[in-house]
Amino acid sequence: MGSFVQNTIVPNDGSLVEQPLKRDPRSIVCQGLADPVFDIDILPLTYVNSRWFAFFVRVDEKILKKLVPEPLTLEDDVVEFWYVDHTNTGAGPYFEMGVTVAASYNGKKGGYYPYMYLSQDTAIYGGRDPFGFPKKAAYFSILEHGDKGGYKNNGYEPINQKRFFSFMMERRGYLLHTATGEYTSNDLADLSVKPKFYGEKDWGRWNMRLITEPDFSKTTYNLTYLDSEWQGKHRFQIKPHSVDVARAQDIRTWALQATPFDNLGALCPVSELLGLVSYNFDLIIPAATIEWTKEVTRTPEEVAKFCTFGEGYKYSMRHKFPKPAGI
Amino acid sequence: MADLFSVTQIPGMGTNEIPAPPLERDEKSRINYGVADPLFDIDTLPLTYTNSRWNAFAYECDEKLLKAIIPDCLTLEDDVVEFWYVDHDHTRLGPYGEMGITVACSYNGVKFGYYPYMYLTQDSAVDGGRALGFPKKMAFIRTLEHGGKWDDGYEASGRDYFSFMMSRNGYVIHSATGKYSGNQLSDLSRVPTFYGKTDWGRGNMKIVTDGDLAKTRWQLTHLPSEWEGKHRFQIKPETVMTAQPEDINWFFQATPFDNCGNTMPAKKLLGLVSYNFDLIIPPAEILWSQTITRTPEEIAKYCLYETPYKFGMRQKFSKPQGV
Repeated sequence: MGSFVQNTIVPNDGSLVEQPLKRDPRSIVCQGLADPVFDIDILPLTYVNSRWFAFFVRVDEKILKKLVPEPLTLEDDVVEFWYVDHTNTGAGPYFEMGVTVAASYNGKKGGYYPYMYLSQDTAIYGGRDPFGFPKKAAYFSILEHGDKGGYKNNGYEPINQKRFFSFMMERRGYLLHTATGEYTSNDLADLSVKPKFYGEKDWGRWNMRLITEPDFSKTTYNLTYLDSEWQGKHRFQIKPHSVDVARAQDIRTWALQATPFDNLGALCPVSELLGLVSYNFDLIIPAATIEWTKEVTRTPEEVAKFCTFGEGYKYSMRHKFPKPAGI
Repeated sequence: MADLFSVTQIPGMGTNEIPAPPLERDEKSRINYGVADPLFDIDTLPLTYTNSRWNAFAYECDEKLLKAIIPDCLTLEDDVVEFWYVDHDHTRLGPYGEMGITVACSYNGVKFGYYPYMYLTQDSAVDGGRALGFPKKMAFIRTLEHGGKWDDGYEASGRDYFSFMMSRNGYVIHSATGKYSGNQLSDLSRVPTFYGKTDWGRGNMKIVTDGDLAKTRWQLTHLPSEWEGKHRFQIKPETVMTAQPEDINWFFQATPFDNCGNTMPAKKLLGLVSYNFDLIIPPAEILWSQTITRTPEEIAKYCLYETPYKFGMRQKFSKPQGV
């Protein structure tokens, strides 16, 4: 036998949750059963002192309507195009990017997410299951740095320099988006136009979840809604002292492109850049409500006709990209 | 104001290589979300793999431990498990690295390899599998075979030595290194009971919880071993290589994020077999299901485990840059 080392003890400071198969089945919410990608120790899902970077952009209404599925109604042509840097969350630390579009259904108003990207799997599945956030994985860089007076930090004192910003997201060998620029204000009022839901307490958040049976005979649509308030408080608490603003003219570079793997650049092209607001915040994501459902069924012939694109054992440009080493 | 650099044309769109966006298609062809741009789409189907490389360690594991990690409705069939890595270059989900553990089980007379653990290096392959119930997570994975000859850069390089490694959230979960010494499966003293059997499929337990946490559906899914009269998994016999236990250096540990080192330690390492293969994964059948419901009080009691805005060691690890 060669060298053989196994350590079976799980490092545990007392904060770990017991394995699912040793618990009451009512506490099991996610697969795999032996060791799920997320577990009940992330619920309720809370965030402390994350940093949000929200570009406000205008997108042609006709294009936006194609992004918003039935039964939602589009409510605004100003869209929030955002990055987040999360350090303290129930799902662990991660980077995130998304697009929020104002939409309504049956008198309820909310921001609908057509696109989301994250840098780790627990946060992806804590959002996809059970709420329907449309999360994919991507490679990120989020940076704020520099000081107006050329200040240099000595490596011990807290760094609070954030004059310039640079954001980047890549997936499968293609740059999806990058933007750079300089903050020039601390007042959200310096931005002349904002998405409709900004600062409004009665706008929640929408997601459309699709669950397909393992035999493809049925797909169930669930339109889920996260109310803006939870236990009498707004779920999203901004730290006003942390606000930084860049006007449209302060955004130095902006690149957004469609790729064979991600159609954001094609289906959500920006017609006008309106500015950037960045701030720290706390957040809680509780259980959602299901506001609308629909079932699409398929016969075996329809499974073959509608759910297969291309020949088996043949591969196209969508199946060829640099092999990821993982995270 | 910044000049807007906008590329709105999707490379390849309009050819027969890329499906139109789901919301522009017949709704019967929408199988995944986001509905505007899903994590995997119909161009993954039929899900096929060509010339992937499988590296399978076989080891004996304590039966009592194995029984504790399979669901109640399954019967354990063997104490030899397959602990495997795969290097995929040509798949309908794109290229990726993979690791998993397969345990021989049965349900109601149907025999299959059950997967308690799986890790992959990219998201479409994770989600495409989870839809069928595979318990996939993401991890950092390295698989390497090299050495044994000089090559000129065009011909195939040597592969006498191997090194495998997987880490997640800052902990190495597993690593093994060593040297191949044979090229027959019969070189190994014992293999998992499903090896070489055409009547053993593969099984997974899919768990789907509603957005309001009021209901969770369990589905035992089964992929029969044959598809349209042929075995789904076709080994290339000329690519088989084996290593004996004495030629393997083995490191395996439990972490706060991943418990396989705790629940399935190797009692006796039996060897390694590596080979190339082709594979097809069709839709799965459902052998068994159950629905767990929760009252609002039960949701609060069983599912809202943690104190809000407080974070334990499971929530602290180096921030991933993504993939």
